[in-house]
Amino acid sequence: MSAGVGVDLEKLWIRFGDFVAVRDANVKINGGDFFSFLGPSGCGKTTILRAVSGFLEPSDGRVLIGGNDMKGIGPNKRPTALIFQNLALFPLMKVWENITFSMEIKGASAKERRKRADELLDMIALPGQGDKLPSELSGGQRQRVAIARALCAEPDVLLLDEPLSALDLKLRQHMRTELREIQQRVGITFIYITHDQGEALTMSDNIAVMRAGVIDQIGDGKTVYNDPATAFAASFVGENNVFRGKVKQVSGDTALIATNRSGELLARISTANQGKMQPGDDAMLFIRPEAFALAPAGASGDHFVTATVTNEEFEGNVFNIFMEGDGGKELKVSLPNLGQSFESHKGQPMTLQYDVQNAVALPAGELATE
Amino acid sequence: MKSFSFMRVSIWVYLAIFFAYLLGPLVIMSITAFNSPEFPRATPWECLTFEWFAALFQDERILNGIKNSILVGAGTVVLSVAMGLAGALMLTQIWPKLRATYYTIIIAPILIPGVVIGISTLVFWDRINRMVGLGADSFLSNGLFLTVIGQSTFIASYCMLVLVARLQRYDTALTEAALDLGATHAQAFRKVLLPFMKPAIASAAVLAFLASFENYNTTTFTFGEYPTLTIELAQKVRYGITPAISALAFIIVVLTVFAALFNEANIRRKDLVAAARKDATVEELESGKFRVPGFLSSNWAAVALVVMACATVVVVGTATVYSPAQCIANVQEQKRIETELRIQELRQRRAEEAARKAAEEAETAPKPQAAPSDNNSGFGGVFSPNTLTGEGEEESKAPEAEDNSNSGFGNVFAPSTLSGD
Amino acid sequence: MPRFLREFFNRNGVGMGSLMLGLVLFWTVGLIILPQLSMLDFSFRPNLPPPEIGGPKDVYTVENYKYLIFGPEGGSQDYNAVDLRVFYRTLIAAVFVTLFNLVLCYPIAYYLAQTKGNHIRIFALMLIIPYWINEILRAFALRIIFGETGVLNNALVGLGIFDTPFDFIRNDIALYAGLGYAYILLMIFPIYNVIESLDRNQIEAARDMGASWTKIHRRVVIPYAKPGISSGCTMVFMLSAGALAAPQILGGPSSLWFTQLIYQQFNDNSDWPQGAAYAVVLLVTCILLVLAVMRLFKVNMGDIGK
Repeated sequence: MSAGVGVDLEKLWIRFGDFVAVRDANVKINGGDFFSFLGPSGCGKTTILRAVSGFLEPSDGRVLIGGNDMKGIGPNKRPTALIFQNLALFPLMKVWENITFSMEIKGASAKERRKRADELLDMIALPGQGDKLPSELSGGQRQRVAIARALCAEPDVLLLDEPLSALDLKLRQHMRTELREIQQRVGITFIYITHDQGEALTMSDNIAVMRAGVIDQIGDGKTVYNDPATAFAASFVGENNVFRGKVKQVSGDTALIATNRSGELLARISTANQGKMQPGDDAMLFIRPEAFALAPAGASGDHFVTATVTNEEFEGNVFNIFMEGDGGKELKVSLPNLGQSFESHKGQPMTLQYDVQNAVALPAGELATE
Repeated sequence: MKSFSFMRVSIWVYLAIFFAYLLGPLVIMSITAFNSPEFPRATPWECLTFEWFAALFQDERILNGIKNSILVGAGTVVLSVAMGLAGALMLTQIWPKLRATYYTIIIAPILIPGVVIGISTLVFWDRINRMVGLGADSFLSNGLFLTVIGQSTFIASYCMLVLVARLQRYDTALTEAALDLGATHAQAFRKVLLPFMKPAIASAAVLAFLASFENYNTTTFTFGEYPTLTIELAQKVRYGITPAISALAFIIVVLTVFAALFNEANIRRKDLVAAARKDATVEELESGKFRVPGFLSSNWAAVALVVMACATVVVVGTATVYSPAQCIANVQEQKRIETELRIQELRQRRAEEAARKAAEEAETAPKPQAAPSDNNSGFGGVFSPNTLTGEGEEESKAPEAEDNSNSGFGNVFAPSTLSGD
Repeated sequence: MPRFLREFFNRNGVGMGSLMLGLVLFWTVGLIILPQLSMLDFSFRPNLPPPEIGGPKDVYTVENYKYLIFGPEGGSQDYNAVDLRVFYRTLIAAVFVTLFNLVLCYPIAYYLAQTKGNHIRIFALMLIIPYWINEILRAFALRIIFGETGVLNNALVGLGIFDTPFDFIRNDIALYAGLGYAYILLMIFPIYNVIESLDRNQIEAARDMGASWTKIHRRVVIPYAKPGISSGCTMVFMLSAGALAAPQILGGPSSLWFTQLIYQQFNDNSDWPQGAAYAVVLLVTCILLVLAVMRLFKVNMGDIGK
């Protein structure tokens, strides 16, 4: 398998009038990667995609595909294919005509096109559906036709703009696996835009977390999840509990944070911020719901949290316990269901402990809003 | 619920009056195309004739007008659909600050009186023509160019309105998708946008052609050496009207009804097919057992279309063999008799009057007696004996009306000739 | 190249973009704006034979406008009473034609928009068919009916309503009927379009609360349909004030329409600047009138043509 064609964004700025949609983005996407831009809507991720596909001219900086500067090259001349959020299947063309549109442009004969369409229809598991109109297909089928249409153009880079957002949950989960399989089979670079961290984590080799035009962190799924670079990344990717406070003491890669409500707690400083946190700084401490474990009643220390239980629920694989948390937000704890007995503590205080390695200390910053 | 049914009745009465106002003139005009008097009129009915159609097809000016109209119409359709489409596309892209101004400019020609558009076109291009230094017979001042330009000015606005309505439902991502798949802008336009716009473009083209075909106000200033059908008709109608014009109108009415029914039948059929597809089960669709409903089944428009086509064939067939000569001769004979009768009547009356006068002088007056005349002419009440029995002024008025009504027969029977002797 | 132009060409391609821009500029500037300005300019010039155009005598003058108001110089009257009377009569008659059409068409538009069923499609067809037929022929049809020995007179006299044929043409009744007839569709469609989008439930609700029909229309339907009504009225007014065919064919011999004066100046007197001045007066007056009424009823230009 070839290494594929990489995409580089160098000092990319995109402005619309006074509004800065993308601020100084520097991203290196390796050939053959499944790369995701993850961020809430309006963070500028679609703008980046449009700059890569050529529908937008960067205000500053460069877009390189396979090492070539794309300045002045129109979308129809770039080795990219885009899958639109609403798919943009041509409503008046049959499925096979849709799929082989790029060949029609190049002047391929109807026979060649038919043959190629059949191959691709087999690949996307829609054999014999070529003569239908897009409107006669289901949502998932249309999705796959859009993928086939993009792949038929034999792009070096496939760009996907939240293509699963219109599907229902079950289909979405199924399509995740399918997309990942297709990507591994064709071996080209995929750039995927999503606001769904589940999609990003399950499919991607690397993820860029974006907030308000700025890329907060780039890394693989595990890094982004376990070792967030900013408070925003920590709160946006996966569920997380936040404790606000000030740095009291730093020793090596751990920091002691004096939290506003839960006393002094110890946490690992995230890799990106090591050496940057000083005593007295405003800080945030993040512990994921599943990182807690029950502690003996009355235990205390720098990795114990005690709070009053406000609510409890049983979700099957986990027990969820909600406790009075920091800043009005509930503290969520998920304990795995291992068949143990569980007695209600509703209205009573409860003590929990955590492994310091699983708690992350970060400089205080903007949190993701739900 | 008495008031409710009263409502319903009054609605229907209102509709009837309204459509009588709308369609009545066309029906009456159509009838006059088949009546033999040389002045177009529906009553009194004299003879069924097709001669006005023959006269129409022999009229050089009308035929030339039709030719010019088609020429102008073709030019106008091309220019105004192109400008309308460009204008509509621009409307979707222009940045918001300019949008209102731009919209006002391109919609204004609809509101500007046609006369004003005609004049401004004439004046402006005359000036351009002079500036370029071309003669009075250059293509710029030649009627064809001016008329196409003048008509397109406002017809493009109509086209724009039709096109923009469809364009609003267009997803620009489709064009982007085509570009992304390697199409040039021209290819994306031709292969994606144009097919999507096709129905609206067809409507706009039909609308443009009809508007061009029937335009008078603008064309009357610009036509030059290319008088269109409308101009020729206007000349004819202003300086004397014949049933040949009714015949032309009738043909246009029939063509229009045909086109409308055809269009309607197609729409109905599409709806029916779509409905049938919806109702059909998946197996039926896939096994090919699905039957498309027949063209005529539950489609009133299609049925009406077929009936009308048959009727047309019958009428045209009749027309080729039918000769109204005998009937016309009869009517003329009848009229002659009638007129003679009336002359006699008048003479008699005059004689009686003279006799009465003589008798008055002799003081032995016999009672004047109105001559009984049987009124089987079908002329309606105008010539009813009552009108004639009136004396003095009334007497002179009735024959005057007669003069107007059958002016085609010349002045042979005019009262002036009669009273002259 | 300015940024907006570059963006425009990026979006549409250089070829397609230029074609589009060229067509729009040709239309807006070459066909709409410049000819109107040219006519305005022309109306301020004296009537000169072609060789003298652009010569020393070709100077700006308001003579053509003065003529409309004061008549020929040294004329017997202080004012150009004939032309002014025609002008006022045209405007007033156009207003009446507009009101007549509104009253006639509103119930029809309402009925068509709020009733469902197959017969509505037939009605719509019957509405449109007359408008596929030449304007001149429509006027001609009315002339056959209103003529002295026309169908209407025959019927009226035959029924004994009139003793003698009534001269509909000389009394301008034929003209008003013809003008009203000519623009029915332009009144119905805008109103129909708006009322069709009115939720039937609103009317039902108002009826539920015991509102009378007049009240429902006054308080619910008419306010909602205002953009359509104003759009229809604007078009009918402008077009009937600017009509030429109907007055020429159906007008009485003694009563002229203002457009006929313009026509005469152009075609019979060959006085183009005078005709242009009259055309400017007609256009400006109509626009001002429409704008004034639109302001009065608080509607926007953007509603026109919807």
